Amino acid sequence: MQVFTRGAPEAGLLAVVESHPRQRIVAASPAARALGVNAGDSVAAALAVAPDLLLRPRVPALEAATLEELAAWAGHFTPHVSLDPPGGLVLEISASLRLFGGLPALARMLVDGLAALGLHAALAAAPTPLAARWLAACRPGELLRPRTGWQDRLAGLPLGVLVDAGVGLDSLDLLLGIGVRSLGDVQRLPRAGLARRQAGAVSAVLARARGEAPDLRNWFVPPARYTARVAMAVPTDNVEPLLFAARRLFAGLAAWLVARQAAVDHCHLHLEHESGPATVLELVTGAPSRDEARLGLLARERLAALPLPAPVEALHLESGLPVALAPRSDDLFGDPDSARENAGLLLDRLRARLGADAVTGLRPYPDHRPERAWRPLPPGARQPVATTTAGPRPLWLLPEPKALGGRAQLTLLAGPERIESGWWDEINGGDVRRDYYVAADEAAALCWVFHPLDAPGEWYVHGYFG
Amino acid sequence: MGSPLALAALPPCLVWQADRLAGSAAAGLPTGFAELDAQLPGGGWPRGALIELFADRPGVGELALLLPLLRRTPADHWLAWIAPPFLPYAPALTSAGLPLERLLLVRTTNAAETLWATRQAAASGACSAVLAWPARIDGAGLRRLQLAAEDSATPLFLFRPPEAARQPSAAALRLLLSGRPGGLTVHILKRRGPAAAAPVELALPQRPGAAAPSRLDDHALARPAPARLALAGLHPRRT
Repeated sequence: MQVFTRGAPEAGLLAVVESHPRQRIVAASPAARALGVNAGDSVAAALAVAPDLLLRPRVPALEAATLEELAAWAGHFTPHVSLDPPGGLVLEISASLRLFGGLPALARMLVDGLAALGLHAALAAAPTPLAARWLAACRPGELLRPRTGWQDRLAGLPLGVLVDAGVGLDSLDLLLGIGVRSLGDVQRLPRAGLARRQAGAVSAVLARARGEAPDLRNWFVPPARYTARVAMAVPTDNVEPLLFAARRLFAGLAAWLVARQAAVDHCHLHLEHESGPATVLELVTGAPSRDEARLGLLARERLAALPLPAPVEALHLESGLPVALAPRSDDLFGDPDSARENAGLLLDRLRARLGADAVTGLRPYPDHRPERAWRPLPPGARQPVATTTAGPRPLWLLPEPKALGGRAQLTLLAGPERIESGWWDEINGGDVRRDYYVAADEAAALCWVFHPLDAPGEWYVHGYFG
Repeated sequence: MGSPLALAALPPCLVWQADRLAGSAAAGLPTGFAELDAQLPGGGWPRGALIELFADRPGVGELALLLPLLRRTPADHWLAWIAPPFLPYAPALTSAGLPLERLLLVRTTNAAETLWATRQAAASGACSAVLAWPARIDGAGLRRLQLAAEDSATPLFLFRPPEAARQPSAAALRLLLSGRPGGLTVHILKRRGPAAAAPVELALPQRPGAAAPSRLDDHALARPAPARLALAGLHPRRT
């Protein structure tokens, strides 16, 4: 269910349908449940009570991928994560408790973190993986600490939990037949008797859950690159819903990067359409970063400017290779790096929307010809050694000298300064032979005017002393 | 009631006279011109406010007015110039003492982009000052810019044509700039506090032709002036 709804703030009327062994509802959104659609209903019955119900087929591959994504995300709480299919995740947290401030605080952080990913989970803690899993299924929210006698808290659990742990249905029928209703009842039965009746698996499972026998698990190994996919609840080409879904992906990426103490400087966001190739958006941050807000801002600017050929069905995020990033400690007196980071962020945003060429710096260039005495430069780059100019130079330069009409009333204040250079560049129009003056017009504005040596009667404005 | 003399004898912190600027304004950024500082609430450019400058033509000294502020751009902060009408000339900026490596020159293709870039630069808190030349902007846009500048405590200078001075605006300070020989006349159209009585006359000694008009003539390499043509409208300087 949640793999479909996490891309949108409101689940709406949605139900997930399984086609094997027969068509039936597997899960329904809260809005659908309110109308009377329940898990286990047939599709026809569900459509009868809620005609607007949106049906999505169940995609086990997507569920498995989401579980793996979640395992990668959980890596920043503990390095020991193992998958517990179909829908579970086991975190070995005993070594992380002190860092995160105790069991309740850690549980709260997990719930909040999952909410940022758009998921909701039933959470429980216990000294053994099996016990934790059973508690999560039956009494979510219960946090058992390893004190003497904790095993007794398992006694009230119903017998049905044993099915998940590999106990055969025939053994279960046997136990039900002799009036056993809870794990506590099983515990009181003689083990030898159970083993004689081919129900030895029950006591073995129980021993693992109670911590009397070892329970070995394979730890999850996170992938070298972060990839995640989120399906849109409804195909759309609107920016806001797309951005909402993309933020889910960025939250996962950020947590994955925190776990690896790394940062990325680029990632690809694939916008998948129903047909045709996916639109690929490359997000480049100026410096390696693991700030989800920064990626979200960049994605917003890029998405707003992007023409989409068709509505988007799903988003797929692929990170670049992570680079190691030294973690920064918080400073008591404000963060000295934040100003520099802000400056980089502004540059990223302007470039993302306006294009890299639209945002530049400037530097002087040693050339006598005024129009060639400057060059663009990447912003913030080191300046070359300053050169001095011979005469006054205006703060504003016109891109092209503008011919003065006969009506202009100018008073020459300073000059002339003869600039004669560039004879080698005549083909490009770079041959400059001019006498420059500073002139004031009737409103006392100062202009930089010249007349070409070859045409003494023609006057041009080339700049303003702003 | 006491006599006016008795009022005047009281310490200034106890009595506020209506023709004085409110003393509560946050300290501003010094403009570099004592005459102007005296007329501005807070004694300088307001921090975190929209400032509108109406220059009737380029070249009256509109940039020279800001140069003392722009020279103080700290490292880690940008000096954003958004959609300037001409090319800011790098050699002149360097000799004016501007830290060119902090300059962020943003070119835009339409009015909406200019407004967007201005707002981003003002709201980011990463700029020591933002200079923008919007083609046109409405009251709501001005209000948004004022809020962005206020939030991040960035002075935001908008250069607009003098016709736009009639438009109501959310700007904290509006100045009309006009040229005069050797300097600049500043009419304060709006400020926080009482209306300004008289325009402020500023001297701009750094401007060519103002303080040292004969500098070039004294230059060892200066050539004798070529014969100036008695063109219609072009007159040699009367001395």
